[in-house]
Amino acid sequence: MDEQEDWHLTDALHHEQGRGDPFAAAVRATRMPMIITDPNRSDNPIVFANAAFQKLTGYSREELIGHNCRLLQGEETDPEAVDRIRKAVAQGEDVAIDILNYRKDGTAFWNALYLSPVRDHTGEIQFFFASQLDVTARVDAHTRVAREKRRIEEEVNKRTADLRAALEAQKLLLHEVDHRVKNNMTMIGSILRLQLREIDDPDFSARLRAMMGRIDALATVHRRLYQSDDVTRFDIGAFAANLAGDLVQASGHRDIRIMTDLRRADVSIEQASALGLIVNEILSNCIRHAFTAGEEGQITIVARQENDQVRLSIADNGIGSSQGDQVPAGLGGIIISRLSRQAGAQIKWASCASGTRADLTITVGAVWNAPPDH
Amino acid sequence: MERAARPLNFLIVEDEPLISMDIEMMVEDAGHHVIAIAAALDEVEALPDGKAPNVALVDMHLARGSTGLDVNSYVQVRWPNAIIVFVTANPQKIPQDFAGAHGVIAKPFSLAGFMSAVQYLEEVVCNPPPVSAPPGSFVASEAFAAFREAP
Repeated sequence: MDEQEDWHLTDALHHEQGRGDPFAAAVRATRMPMIITDPNRSDNPIVFANAAFQKLTGYSREELIGHNCRLLQGEETDPEAVDRIRKAVAQGEDVAIDILNYRKDGTAFWNALYLSPVRDHTGEIQFFFASQLDVTARVDAHTRVAREKRRIEEEVNKRTADLRAALEAQKLLLHEVDHRVKNNMTMIGSILRLQLREIDDPDFSARLRAMMGRIDALATVHRRLYQSDDVTRFDIGAFAANLAGDLVQASGHRDIRIMTDLRRADVSIEQASALGLIVNEILSNCIRHAFTAGEEGQITIVARQENDQVRLSIADNGIGSSQGDQVPAGLGGIIISRLSRQAGAQIKWASCASGTRADLTITVGAVWNAPPDH
Repeated sequence: MERAARPLNFLIVEDEPLISMDIEMMVEDAGHHVIAIAAALDEVEALPDGKAPNVALVDMHLARGSTGLDVNSYVQVRWPNAIIVFVTANPQKIPQDFAGAHGVIAKPFSLAGFMSAVQYLEEVVCNPPPVSAPPGSFVASEAFAAFREAP
């Protein structure tokens, strides 16, 4: 029984006087708030509270001794934290926890509580020893940081949402513009076709057809670009094959076969329209001049890509060579020579008895870079 | 199933008058009849009974807020044997399954592209299986494949 009395005895001593237990004197004098409670008494009351603890809580020793620690709890103390402490005490375990406590004057402080049982040599719990530390500043800082983090996250989320909305608006706009371009091109085609029906002069009508062909070629470029998932690349070989099919169909030369040997041959979109028009001129010239109606013919399209060089070759097995006019005359020829400079493409024509071949060498991405070809 | 014979009856649903006129003339150049041109769903609904269309060419964006999808549903109920082909600059608006329609001709179309699509449709409707290869200008749906294979 007398350990308790020893405590009271020790309690009554003044450490300055150098008497009593030096450990007890140290506990009494330290700046770390500390208490001891006795679980063997009813309601585990405080049996010792050092000066630092009294200073921290504002309670005097007389107000503390004999009371359970719960007198520090208050309105906003987390019941879960209280529960964890209660469980640790019941199970005789250590617990370290930050808990909101209240001083005698009602002000709150964050208490970094460390509680552990003190056992005797038989393992029986004699006391609980608890140290406290006012960590209000630290918890406040944490709260502030957490609050700041939340604020920034909200801000980031808001801006991300803004950006998403802007991207959606851009997509909608792009879609709308694409739609308008396509509708207008359809309308231009319709107007020209309707006009063509009123023209009797075969020469004029041929010129108008060539014009429609050029507009169709541009429309095909646009359609192929915007139907693909990637509007940054344009496969000139696949385009040439597509256009050749359309042109042969339109010419009524059902006996012209189109042979293709295509590998991926991507040019940049800045080059797409110019190259599309060039390919259109080459193909229409070849369909118009190379073949005799009713005879079988063949157009061969080969496309290759090597690093930044795309090679496109369009060859026919017709009679164009014998006429010696492989390079198209008139506007067609002008379109080819002017646009090939713009599109960074060089064209070599080769003619022999077995037909005419145009070899295009295109430097991908080169716009207005190629030297003049005359 | 009884096969239709040339010339076929076409219904054109398109709100742009110049384009519908152009389509009408191309269809007639191909040797077929245009039985009606409508700019919106209500005009299709108002069509008199009589000639049923074999082929309906339907734009997606139509007058007075109606859409090609509305017309598509209506035509399927009223003329269940008609082939429905969207003619649109907006092929992305067509649902994956084409909502029971048979295909699409994308705008802008070329004269050759349009004519070869009409030729191909005619072969499928009148005398399947078609002898021509499917043209690049026409994208067929699964419903169309079923139509083409039907005995």
